Order: sequence, then C-alpha cells, then structure tokens
Amino acid sequence: MWWERWRIAVMLAPTLLIIVVLFFGSLGYGFIQSLGYQPNIGNYSISLDAYSTVMFSERYSEQFWRGLRLTFFVSLASTAIAAGLAIACALLLRQTFVGKRVATFLFQLNLPVPHLVIAIGIIFLFSNSGLLARAAAQMGWISAPSDFPVLVRDTEGISIILAYLWKEIPFFGIIVLAILQSVGEDYEDLARSLGANGWQRFRYVILPLIMPGLLSSSIIVFAFTFGTYEVPKLLGVRFPEMLPVMALEFFLNPDLNARAEGMALSMIIAVIVLALVVVYMWISDRAIRQT
Amino acid sequence: MTHVVLQKLNKVYPGTTQAAVQDMHLDIPSGQLVALLGPSGCGKTTTLKMIAGLIHPSSGDITFDGASVLPIPAERRGAVMVFQNYLLFPYMSVGQNVGFGLKMRGVPQKTINQKVIEMLELVKLPNIANRRPKQLSGGQQQRVALARALITAPKVLLLDEPLSNLDAHLRDEMRELILSIQRQLGVTMIFVTHDQEEAVLLANQIALIFEGVLQQYAPPDVFYRQPISERAARFFGGVNFIAGTRRGDRVTTALGDFVFNPAGKDSAPEGAVTLTIRPEQIVLQPADTRNSIAGRIRARIYVGTYTRYKIVLNDGSEIEATRPGDVGSLEEGDAVRLAFPEDRIWVVAQR
Amino acid sequence: MSRVKRILFYAAVVGVVLALVLPIITFFINAFAFRWFYPQFVPNEWSLQAWERIGLIPREGQRTLEGWWRLLSSGSDVINALGTSLALGGLVTVLSVIIGLPAARALGLYRFRFKRLVEFMILAPTIVPVIAFVLGLNINFIRWGFSGTLLGVAVVHLVPVMPYVVLTLSGVFANYNPEFEEQARTLGAGPLRTFWYITLPSIFPGLVVAALFAFLVSWSQYLLTFLIGAGRVITIPMLLFAQASGGNNAVTAAMSLIFIAPAVLTLLLSARYLSGEASAVGGFGRI
Repeated sequence: MWWERWRIAVMLAPTLLIIVVLFFGSLGYGFIQSLGYQPNIGNYSISLDAYSTVMFSERYSEQFWRGLRLTFFVSLASTAIAAGLAIACALLLRQTFVGKRVATFLFQLNLPVPHLVIAIGIIFLFSNSGLLARAAAQMGWISAPSDFPVLVRDTEGISIILAYLWKEIPFFGIIVLAILQSVGEDYEDLARSLGANGWQRFRYVILPLIMPGLLSSSIIVFAFTFGTYEVPKLLGVRFPEMLPVMALEFFLNPDLNARAEGMALSMIIAVIVLALVVVYMWISDRAIRQT
Repeated sequence: MTHVVLQKLNKVYPGTTQAAVQDMHLDIPSGQLVALLGPSGCGKTTTLKMIAGLIHPSSGDITFDGASVLPIPAERRGAVMVFQNYLLFPYMSVGQNVGFGLKMRGVPQKTINQKVIEMLELVKLPNIANRRPKQLSGGQQQRVALARALITAPKVLLLDEPLSNLDAHLRDEMRELILSIQRQLGVTMIFVTHDQEEAVLLANQIALIFEGVLQQYAPPDVFYRQPISERAARFFGGVNFIAGTRRGDRVTTALGDFVFNPAGKDSAPEGAVTLTIRPEQIVLQPADTRNSIAGRIRARIYVGTYTRYKIVLNDGSEIEATRPGDVGSLEEGDAVRLAFPEDRIWVVAQR
Repeated sequence: MSRVKRILFYAAVVGVVLALVLPIITFFINAFAFRWFYPQFVPNEWSLQAWERIGLIPREGQRTLEGWWRLLSSGSDVINALGTSLALGGLVTVLSVIIGLPAARALGLYRFRFKRLVEFMILAPTIVPVIAFVLGLNINFIRWGFSGTLLGVAVVHLVPVMPYVVLTLSGVFANYNPEFEEQARTLGAGPLRTFWYITLPSIFPGLVVAALFAFLVSWSQYLLTFLIGAGRVITIPMLLFAQASGGNNAVTAAMSLIFIAPAVLTLLLSARYLSGEASAVGGFGRI
C-alpha cells in the first residue's frame, strides 16, 4: 500500500516543508541576494562585490574588521567565562543542603527570561546611575555618577558580556547539574577509594564526564552570542559595532544597494557559525570513534 | 594481609531516626573472604562504604590491624571498592583505567605501564590495554575493574555484588578468578550481596544482616544447618516451619512429638519454639516410624535433578520434601509417611 | 563539614543566587519607584504611576469595576500588544504541535534512511542565528504578501519553534511503546479513539512541555516579528525594545515584568519537569 511505503515521508513532510522553505530557502535566497542578484531593482548579474565592499572597501573595512573582532571577543569571553563559573556553581548546588530546592529554582530563574529583558536589567544594574553605582555612592566610594566605570554601552562590549553571563551561567549550570545528577557520585567514590584527592577527582573524573555536554552547549552559546541582535543593539556602541547589528543596519538602509551588503554580512555570520559546528562535529565524531 | 575489625559501628543518616547500621560488631581475620549478606536496604552497602571511608560512621570504630582508620580519608585508607556496575571510566582506555590509582599517587608513567600489564595478566586479560571499556563484555569489564583495584595493592578489597551482573557460566569463571587472586595475594576481601547463592559460592564467612543489625556471622554451611532464626532460615531457602513447645530434646507440636539431637539445643530456650527441617533432609516412606508423621501428596513437581513434593499434613498444614531424581512411584493423592531424622531437626526461638 | 566550611558554603550559595537574580530585582524597584533620585539606594517613594502610564491600572479614584472595564476596553498600546502576543503565541503553539507531532513520532519510533540528515535539518535553526535567514525571508514574505499579517508572523515563528517541539516530542516517542496502540486496536478501538484514549494520555506530559516551549519561544521573539510584522504586528517585546532604547525607566521596568511573567510562571509550574532535561533546558536557553 502506498501509505505503508510513504508513511514516514508523509509524517515528516509538514515539518520539513516549514524548515526547508522558510529556513533553508531564506538562507539560500539571502545568499543569492548577497551576490547582488536583485531582480526587484533590475539587477540580474552575480558578483562578490558586496563581500569585497564590506570587507575591504575603505569606507567599511575598518568597521567590519573591528566589528568582527569585537563579536569574536564577546562570544568567546561570554562562553568561556560562563562555562567556567557555571561549573563552580553546579559543584556548589549539587551538595545537599537546607534550601537546596529554593536555591536551585532561583538559580534557574534567568533561564526563561528573554535576553532582551536581561539586557535591560544589566542597564538598570551597571549603568552609572544604576543600582551598583548607587550602592557605591552610598558606601562613599564614588562621589558622582561619572566616577563609576563605564560598563554599559562601552567600546569593549563589557555590558554585552555581562548580559550573556547572567543568561548563560544558569544554562550551562543546569546542563552540568543534570549530567552530574545522572552520573551520580559513584565514579567519584571509586576514584577516591583508588586514591584520588579532591583536585584529582575534579580533573580526572568530573571534568571528563561533563566535557561532552559542556562542549556541545558551548557551541550553542557561542553561536547564539555570535548572532543575537537585541543585546548588542541595546548595550553596544556605534563603533565598534557587533556584526548582527551592522547587518541589520545595512539591510534597513533606504538605499536598496546596501541590502546586498547586509545579506553578505548575515552570510558571513552564518558561515562562521556553521564552520564552528562542522569543526565541533568532527571533533566529537573523533572522540566517539575513540571511545 | 589486614585484620579488619568493626567495633560497635552505628550509622544514622541525617533526617532519619532509624539507624541504617546498628551496633555492628564484626571481626574479619586477615586474608578472609567475607560476605555481608542481606536484603536490599539492610545497611550492608552502608557498612561497606564506611569501611572504604566514603561514609562516616555516627559512632563506633573501624580498625585495620588494630589501628583505627576513621581519621584516614578514603583516598589514603587503602580500602579499595569495586562497584557493582564496574564503573570503568568511559573516556579512558583500559590501560588508563587500570593505571588510574598509581597515577593518582604520582607514580612515573613507565612504572605504571609495567604494572598495568602485570595486573591485566593477573586477571587473565593480556593485550587489551589499548581497548576502550565499551568494546569489552560485562565479564571482561568486571575483571578490568578488579585489576584497577588491585594495582594499588590495597589492604582490603571491597566488592559490591561481584557476581550478580554475570551469567551463570561467567559466574563460575569469575568465582574461580577471585578465589585464585585471593589465594595468590592473600588480600582481605569483603563483599556485599543480597543473593545467598552468591554469598555461599564465594565467602569463607557470611555476615547476615537484617535492618542494619548483624544476625549471624558464620561459615556458609551453618546457615543451612543451624540458622539463628526462622527469618534467617527462610533467607537461605528454608520452607518448613512447625510451631511447638520445647522440653529438653523433645518438641511437642500439633502433629505430635519430635525428638531432636541435642547438638542444636543451644539455639532456643525451653518453651515456645519453631521447629525447622530442610526439604532435602526429610525421609519419605521411612523404614521405621520414629519421628514420623502421615500426610498426603498434594502436588508433585518434577524439576529434573530432583523432585519436589508438597505434602498436606493431618492438621491441614503443608510441608515440602524433595528427593533426588525421579525415583519411586509416589503420585499426587498418595498417602505418605515422612520422617524427620533427629540430627537434621533444628529449633529456633519463636519471635 | 566543619562549621566554618558550612558558613562559607552557604555564603557562596547565597552570593551566587543573589547575584543572578539581581537584574530581576531591579525591575521590581524601578517599576514601583517614584522620583528615585541618585544616589538613593532604595526609593523614598513608591507608586503605581508606571502601571497607570502603560494603561494596565486605572488612575487613582477610578479603580472601580467600571474603571477597570473602561481601561481594558480602551485598548491602550500595551493591552493591544498583550492581546497580539497572546494570540500569536497561541496560534504558534497549536500550529507547531499539529505539524510537529507526526514528525516527532517518525523520529522517535522508526529508523529510516537519511534519518541523521533529517535530524540535522530540523535542528539547524537552533544553531544558525535568526539574523542569517531573516533578511532573505523578509524579502520573500513581502513578495508573497504574508508580511504584516498575524498568520504570516506566526508561520515565521515556526522556524525557531519547530526544533524544540519536535525534539521534546521525539524524546517522548523514543520511550513510547506503540504496541499499546495495537493492543487497543485488537480490543476494538478505531484510529481516532486509539489516539484519544491511548496515544494522547501517554504523551501528554511531553506534549505540555512542548506546548510551553512553543509558546515561550514565540512570546520572546523580537527580530522576526519586527521584520516580518512590518510595523503592523505589534507585540510586547516590540514596545519594550522601543521603551528600552530611550524611554522612561519605570515604564520599561513595568513592561519587562509583564514580558517575563509567563516565562517565570512556566518555570514555577514546571521546575520539577525541567531539571535534568537537557533538551528542554536548551529550549529555554535560546529565549
């Protein structure tokens, strides 16, 4: 019967239709447009002009390379710091103690809070009239708002990193906690009885056990922080500007020729993220073959 | 070669009132293989982990060769555990797994490699140092776990259900391996199990534990001949229990009087007792009528190497007897006489 | 643990938790503060002014049943946006579950050729940033005339939503025994009744989690709504973003609280469900 044969294909079809048409189709269409193919403004030729304009033209090259560097820096720093702190938090929270449920709940609280809201919270907290500046003033550490270090809308992307930390520490933390919970304490007990001290148990037992989960969630976090628009738009400066913000600004430019440049930027972001995923899959494939 | 003594050991987990382990007193001479046996949740694993140093006792003491080990943390105590599910580190090769304990002690890699080869030969798995744990069968993983524990030359080896995850034929193999290592190295071994068969197969001495309390500590055969209580007897497969009153070497029951050999007279006081006899010790259709009663066969169950008979007695109670093979012509519904040889009868105090 | 160690331990836990919830605390202070001048650490005066300004609470003296009703029916920006956000989230939830259920079943129960490829394709939108595909999408949607309609925006929200719905549900189906359905069929239940009495109850908890995800992911979309809604579909995050980039702090804080309410509520209700479920957590992380 045809149904038996095509059953699985029919079941998958609606979901794949959405993904293929809207997601992959748009990616492909964006790619074509980035090559300058824009029939609506009568441009049918294909070239790499948009890419070279964005990357090498006198007008944009500095903006692009500084922006790329900032984006990389922010993503790497957010991912690495969040992962490190999250491990510490997870090790803390997996102990048994009075109030563990409440502590774990509050620890997860930022998880479902949208990035946009956390970014606003960072402003309320770290701006020079924010809660921390007020606390510093109360303590007598600063006398005027301008004495407070510039942490929001700074050129180094510090406030952007802070926003990501607040959001991603619980994310990593819950994943690490879940792994530790499912692994249990037997491996550590065993290592202990074989003579491993506290540091050795962390280094040779806990770390290798959480590494696979930590790596794959690092990829997710890195990709996310690399491509998000809202947070750098709210917390960033005009120069240097993170790539996603730059891409949208090109795109929304009334000059329709700038569209191709915007598309080119979004393609560059996609390629970097995809390259990262490929490298990750290659590494984890090798790791799987080894074990 | 370590003499392990548990003295009045207690463990009460925080937030509970019932002691997980209560006044445990156990003397394990050097080079013995002792089983801590009991149903799950009886405190046997807690006891094992207290010896390992992974759980701290609430009170009492543990000594190795006379010296208390309580102040010594698990990683320096020399009591190594082998877990039931082996717990080979999945991200390490077999060799790295076996060498783990030496690496933690900062032994040079060259020496480690040497010892790893030795240990793998000891557990009869040469040339697998470069494999991954996933590539090994359950029995092989068990041996690697054993090698990993032995490489540190532990004073005491602690095993958690060492045979329970293995098939019947692997059990024999593993049993022989453990016993031969035991003979070769003379290391004191303590293992926990809920399976009396596993305990009987391996141990020189069995410590039977119910609800955190040590019931009986004796060689395996004693649990069959002279169990301390009806419950202990049931745990070892006893099924025949008859209530009665003991006077001297005579027990009066609803079915009549039984005389028993005074060898068991210490086990129960005068007065209310329970008489017990193992099914395989009951004589069917005896030559004389001493110590015998009448019954009727309700069911005959042929098991292959022996046959089980369920026999209804005069007072309506039921008793089970077995005979080797399929000898005789007893059928369901037949009237039978059964005799309890007096040196096979055992009496325990009624609860 | 020794006494000193215990105290240090609790100090660390309290420190970590307090630091993490600090941004949320600032919302409560800002939203109810009145004339909170620098360098006051805690406002001297509190008020509901911000809530009156966004039209969620009637002005003083008008907090009667009639006043509330007038307020609700007046259709302030925030109330309209709330309605749009809720309608959009509901639509996306229903669509995504109906579309994703069969696919999740196929992925959870069967092995077939190209399964890895299909999984990869469905998961791709969780890794590739919205900015990378939304620009191409925008142009096509304008061409197809979908742009600026609620349905159009809902369909586009399906792209980031589908992976989580399919992932959550296929996990449910991976632990599902279809022989229960066969048993029901042999006992005389037709396909519909089999679905209603057998399939649905067994996957229900997972279905609830998937639906919550779908709703929350849709609820918190900004960029997709902004570009595809073409200024005609105004949701809460759109208003909030505009406020945050140069509005009044108290109003921004009040709106933020409204914006995070469903998410925090969900977490409260499902905290037990989610702890330990990495795929579920993954969904939250992307909001």
